[in-house]
Order: sequence, then structure tokens, then C-alpha cells
Amino acid sequence: MISETPETHKKLELVCPAGTPASLRAAIDNGADVVYLGFRDETNARNFPGLNFSREELAQGLDYAHQRGAEIYIAINTYPQAGNPDPWHAAIDDAATYGADAVILADMGLLDYAARKHPDLNRHLSVQASASNPQAINFYVETFGVRRVVLPRVLSVIEITALNKQISVQTEVFAFGGLCVMAEGRCALSSYVTGQSPNMNGVCSPAGHVHYEDQGDQLVSKLGTVTINAFAPEEKAGYPTLCKGRFKARGTVSYLFEEPTSLNVVAMLPELVNAGVTALKIEGRQRGRAYIAQVVSQFRKAVDAQADGTTLPDMNLTSITEGQQNTVGAYDKTWR
Amino acid sequence: MISSTGMSAPLSPVLLLGLAVRPLPLAPLQPVLGAAMTAVTRRYPNIFERLSSLENTRFLIDPVDLPFGFLLVADDQAPQLRAVRAGQAGDVAATIRGPLMTLIDMLEGKIDGDAQFFSRALVVEGDTEAVVALRNAVDGSEIDLFRDFLDKLGVLAGPAMRVSGVLQKIYDTAMGDLDSLRRAALAPTERRHDMVATKIRRLEVKLDELSRGSRARRSQS
Amino acid sequence: MNNSDMSQSKLTLGPVMFNWNPDVWRDFYFRIADEACVDTVCIGEVVCAKRDPFFTPLIPEIIERLQRAGKEVVLSTLALIMSKRDLTSVREITAMEDILVEANDVSAVSLLKDRPHIIGPFANVYNEGTLEFLRRNGAVRVCLPVEMSLQSITSLTANQHDTEFEVFAYGRLPLAISARCYHARSHGLSKDSCQYVCDKDVDGMDVDTLDGDPFLVVNGLQTLSYSCCNFIHDLGALSAAGISRFRLSPQSWDMVAVAQCFRDVLDGKTESEQAEHILDDLSDGLTSSNGYLYGKEGMAFAAPWAE
Repeated sequence: MISETPETHKKLELVCPAGTPASLRAAIDNGADVVYLGFRDETNARNFPGLNFSREELAQGLDYAHQRGAEIYIAINTYPQAGNPDPWHAAIDDAATYGADAVILADMGLLDYAARKHPDLNRHLSVQASASNPQAINFYVETFGVRRVVLPRVLSVIEITALNKQISVQTEVFAFGGLCVMAEGRCALSSYVTGQSPNMNGVCSPAGHVHYEDQGDQLVSKLGTVTINAFAPEEKAGYPTLCKGRFKARGTVSYLFEEPTSLNVVAMLPELVNAGVTALKIEGRQRGRAYIAQVVSQFRKAVDAQADGTTLPDMNLTSITEGQQNTVGAYDKTWR
Repeated sequence: MISSTGMSAPLSPVLLLGLAVRPLPLAPLQPVLGAAMTAVTRRYPNIFERLSSLENTRFLIDPVDLPFGFLLVADDQAPQLRAVRAGQAGDVAATIRGPLMTLIDMLEGKIDGDAQFFSRALVVEGDTEAVVALRNAVDGSEIDLFRDFLDKLGVLAGPAMRVSGVLQKIYDTAMGDLDSLRRAALAPTERRHDMVATKIRRLEVKLDELSRGSRARRSQS
Repeated sequence: MNNSDMSQSKLTLGPVMFNWNPDVWRDFYFRIADEACVDTVCIGEVVCAKRDPFFTPLIPEIIERLQRAGKEVVLSTLALIMSKRDLTSVREITAMEDILVEANDVSAVSLLKDRPHIIGPFANVYNEGTLEFLRRNGAVRVCLPVEMSLQSITSLTANQHDTEFEVFAYGRLPLAISARCYHARSHGLSKDSCQYVCDKDVDGMDVDTLDGDPFLVVNGLQTLSYSCCNFIHDLGALSAAGISRFRLSPQSWDMVAVAQCFRDVLDGKTESEQAEHILDDLSDGLTSSNGYLYGKEGMAFAAPWAE
């Protein structure tokens, strides 16, 4: 906000993931202010088998949320295929028809479509648009009437603070879960190996191309023909995404890009409030409802404690994190 | 555990039960498993709808602490669940292996499958996409084994009683089966031997590849 | 394949993405100006603004030499803009008049509004909706994202007569960009104290798999393919799909000769098979790839031209 002074005890909005109706209910029952979800097709960036919502499930989810004072955002955050815009346009039309509280979009063509066809439907800018500076964000706001921007996971808290002073729109930041180390929406590593990418297909390192080989003394993960990692018997594992793999460079084997780790900013809530952030986003539409319930309830307590000015509760979410490690990622500038 | 690879079984009552049940026939289990699938299909039609892209995929669910596993055929019209012994599962698209209680907790959505995988409590082999689909479908269905089956057995009360009678006998046997205990305690050592052997085999293969001439590689200027 | 159409196709030399020695960099562009049969030359730092100070002072001289040689000169902007320094760089470039600018991110798109400009391969133009919007905003030429298939390209270019389409046709594929510097990380340094170690690898730092297979290369914040994208066999199909420009991305080997290979195939003077052999020699046998065009994994080298 341009003129707003930081309010230390302002309450952050908690935006939580759901891949199934059961997870949606788990999120809301555990204190989510908002649940974000996607349709069961290539229009969203978690286009995983057996996941996501039919139109009927969306209608039921909206009822469940609205009856309990919560909201539903619909992620339509992949880039439509040339010659085949219909599934994406239908997703936006249906989000408006069913009464979703916002759509989360990345593609400029879709933002343009939504702004023209459904001016009253709230438009949020997806992290997949990778809008990481005030010039770009103000452009999306002025051109497409975007109400909120989900910030890329490449910015430090200092940069977010400076950014919020130069833009006139709400910002939402990732607070917990999977961590993209590459700029989102600008990464073709997955398609280089599998032919399928987040931008085009809504998948990264898709499960259909992943193979685990138990070789007795080690568990080897492969994406297509490429060896991504090898874990010793008791070693903690991570997702088989390329950027969390172990590679050899300069004669040394290492996690060159990033360790298998999860983002967790719970210790930084005061800084994020002071940075002018409006909402916290929890990653993990592909995770089970046990994960959703556990993370959402803990973040509910933390956000409430932050707003009340009481001590933040101890949280133990390590057991559910990737590689069973946490990081504050790019929020701390030394991460770079 | 019906595969030679994979994780070692935890020393648990389930393992003791499993070791003792080894010589017994699996047939008495089948009516219960069949009824369970019928009940799941009726109660949670969404599960198999979510799996419709899989088309009769065969999964082997392999509790490491039982001497048999479960073959699941994910057909959206007539899904099947059968108890199978080693070598009886036939071709399967994927295997999910872990302690029985972990598998049950996952089935009921009490624990997160990814987290179990990260901690290595769970091993997945074969078609990872099918496993992810199954996990998502099951997790989305809010299965409660006790609520759904054990208190609603109805006509199945007979077979279930028979099974529980068998189980009781087995459990009694297991408690006194020192040999089983010793085998469980020795398992990690045997496993370590297997690992060393595997490692040597792999090094041999690698050496062989190397001796066939290293691939020409562009040198960076 | 229609050779007369292909002979109308133009060649663009993309911006140098690696951190070359400034003298080498200047001499490279001088030689391009004097000897290369490319129509357009892109210049400007697209990966890391920290490198700017070394190259910016040399740019006016290079532009002049290229323009004197009859080349169209395009200034390329940064792909990822986070800091004030990054944004200043983009604002300075887009403020320059009388020169075409290539926008590699949305902030550049916004600064170039209502003025003819080019959309670079780092901006996401996957479909007609976005293309139409950008055309209204002033885009006259678009270099498409590297992961687009021939089928998608064909759909996108259909009935779009006001826009010139270009594809990334040769060189290591830019696959990802990050806030984190992997070059610095591999040397135990951070981005802020990087000591410019990315200058040690003129074609990027090799990244191998655990099996020892070459896989990617790292160029500071950027990750590229180890393989060399090579559309030499696909020029006819791409021309038929509405592509009128082919981008050659500078590598340390002889780019004048690379450009000549592409020109000769476009002009029907050389068969693509023969050109492939020459290109292989130039790159010292580096693996080729063109899988993206055929909807396969980008690292594949698919051969539908032989079918």
C-alpha cells in the first residue's frame, strides 16, 4: 500500500491449499481464511492424477466455505495452449458463474479475457507470472485490474518491503511448503527432460516420468532417463524435482541448486507484517489432508498470536517437510 | 514382505503376527477383502472416479511386516482386492511398501503420504503416476476403517469371526515363537550383506562400462 | 520444403548470455559486424545486472560498427528483474530512442507500450490471447519460448500477418533463471560476493548427473541445457509454420561459420545433413537437441525430417 503505515499487529490472511474436497474441509475446519484450488485439468499448476475439483465439487466447496465465513480462490495459472483456449476460458467463466471469490491467473491473454468478460470477478496475479518488480506489478494492476499479486519466491523481505511501498495492490507471499528455486513461470527444466512443464501442462517433473529403483544399498530416483538423486538407506528423501537433485559440478557431488527442503517463514511473521504483506500462502495442493490439517492449524495459531502480540507458539512441522529440513529461502538475502 | 528388496520390517506385534501367519492359508481373508471393496465402492464412488484414467491398474500393497501382500485392481466398475503371497501377484504396475500400520494410517488420511516417503517409511516402485493417483483418490475419500467396516459387517459377521478366531490363534503362537523373534533380530544383518553384494555388483557393471572406453567429452575452453 | 520462401528468412544473433572477457566480447561483435551473414544482432546483458558495468561502456562503439555493416541492432533487456539496479538497467535501455528493444520481462513490456518493440524468448507468449494483447501494446516481432512445439507454433502463427515470428534455433537452451547464483554457490560464494566466477566458463559450467552423464550447464543465475539446440533440419517445417526468423545464440565457437551453415541451408546451397556435420565439427561434437519442436523432451534429438 502506498501510504499505509506498517501495523505490527495487523492480521495476516491465511490462504491454504486443497487438492480434494476432503482437504478443503480440513483446511477450513482448521482455520483457513481462504482455500485455493484448481479444476481437474491442465488449467492449473497442480495437474496431478487423481487430484483437483470437478464443477460439482467446487459448488459444494463454495457452500462449505461461505457458510463458515471462508473464501475460495481458483487457480487457473498455466499458459493456454495455442489453438486451444477453451478449457481455460471455460474455467474462468465457471469460476465467475459459481461465485468464486477470486481467480489466480498468470497468462496475460487470460487476464485480458477475464477483465473484459467478467469485470466483477476478482483477479489475482499468480506466482507463475513471476512479477518481481514494481514496474511489472503496476502494469498488471493498471492494465488488467489485478487486486492482489502472489510474489515470486525470489524476493528478500527487504525487497518485499521496498516493493510494497511502490505498488497499490495487496501482496501474498509463500509461507510454507515446496520451494521453487528458479523464477516461477520461467522454468523449462521439467520439459527439457519429460516434455511436460509447469507453464504448458501444469506439472513439474511429472510422476509418470519418475522411477524409483531400490538398489539395496541406495534408493535411486530417475526422471525419464536422467538420474536425479540417490539416497542411502536412512537418508531423508525429497520430491524428484530436478532443482532438488544431486549433481556433479566442478568435481563435487552436491545439491547444486537446492537441498530437498521446505520453506517455513513462521519465525518471520512480524517482519512480513511490517513489510506490508496482506496474506500468507501455504503450498501443497498435492499433499494429503493430514498435512493440510497439521500445517493450517499451526499457522492459524501463529497468525493469531502475531496479531494479538503474544508469543508465537512452538511449531513442529519438520516431520512433514521435504527432506525433513526447513529454510526461509530467498526471504533471507544470504540464500542467494 | 513378499519381495526380497525394500525395507526391513520393524520389530512389532504386526511382524510377530506376520511371521506366525506364514504357513496359514489366505483363503479365509478373501470374503472380508471382497466385502471391503464392495463397501468402499458403494460408500466412496469418487475414489474410482478419480482413478478412471488408470484403467485396471494393478497395485501391490506390500506391508513389510506381513508375509503376504494385497493385490488391488483399480477398475472403476469392479475393483478387486486380494491377499497374495510372493510370486502370486503377477505383473503389477506399482508396488507400495511400508509397515502395515503406516499403510492403514495413510488409507485413513491420518498421515501424509509424501511425509512418509520423505522419511523413508514408505517405498514406491514402478508406475509412480499410478501411485500418486491412488494416493490422491484415497486421501480425498475420508475412509474410516472402523466406522465403515468393523461396526457394519452385517452378513460378514460370520467370516470376520472366523478370521478373528484364526488371528487370535496366530497371535498366541507368535508370542511364543522365539525363532521368529530371532529371525526378526537377524534381519538387519542379512540385509546389510545383501546391500554389500548389490553394491559390488553395481561397481562391477560400472567398471565394465569404463573399460569399454570412456565417452568422448567436449573439453571446455 | 519451399526454398524460395526459406531464402527470405532472416537470421538473428541472440545476445551473448555468458560472462565473456569484455575484450573478447567486443571483438566477437566486431567480427560479427565484419563477417557474419546475420541480419539482426541483439546486444545487452540478459542474465545478471552485476555484469553490466563491464559491457555498457563498449556498447555505443559496437552498435555503430554493426549498423555501419548494415545489421539491424536490437537491445535486449534482463530476463529477471528484482532489484533497483535491475530496473534501472531496463529503464535506461527502454529510454533509448531510435533503436529496437527486445523485452524479456513484463516490466520492459510496460515501458515499451505504444512503441514498436520485440518480445524476447524469456517472456511467455504461448497463445493467441497473449499475442493479441502484446501486439496491441506495440510488439512487432516475437521470439517464442524455447519449449513450444511445432504444432503450437503453427496454431499460434495462423492468420497473424502483423507479427514477425522467430524461434531459438541454435545454441544451448536457456531453461531457467533464478535469484540464486549457482556459479557462486558452486565456488562456496554467494551472489553478493560472487567474485564474478561465472567468467571462468565461457559456455557455462558443466553439470553432470550422478551417473556422470553431461546434463546441464550453469551460467550464473541461469541454467542452460548441456546439449546444443539445433534446428538445422527443421528450417523448412518451421518456415512452413510461419517462422521467418531464426535465432542463433552465441557460444564460444565460430558463430560466423554457424551463421553461414544456416544461411546456406536456407538458401538451398547446402543440404541439412551436410550442414549438421559442419556444425558438429564447429561445436566439437556437442550433443544436439530439437525435441521441443516435436512435443518431446527438449533434450531429445528427434528426426522427423528423415521419415
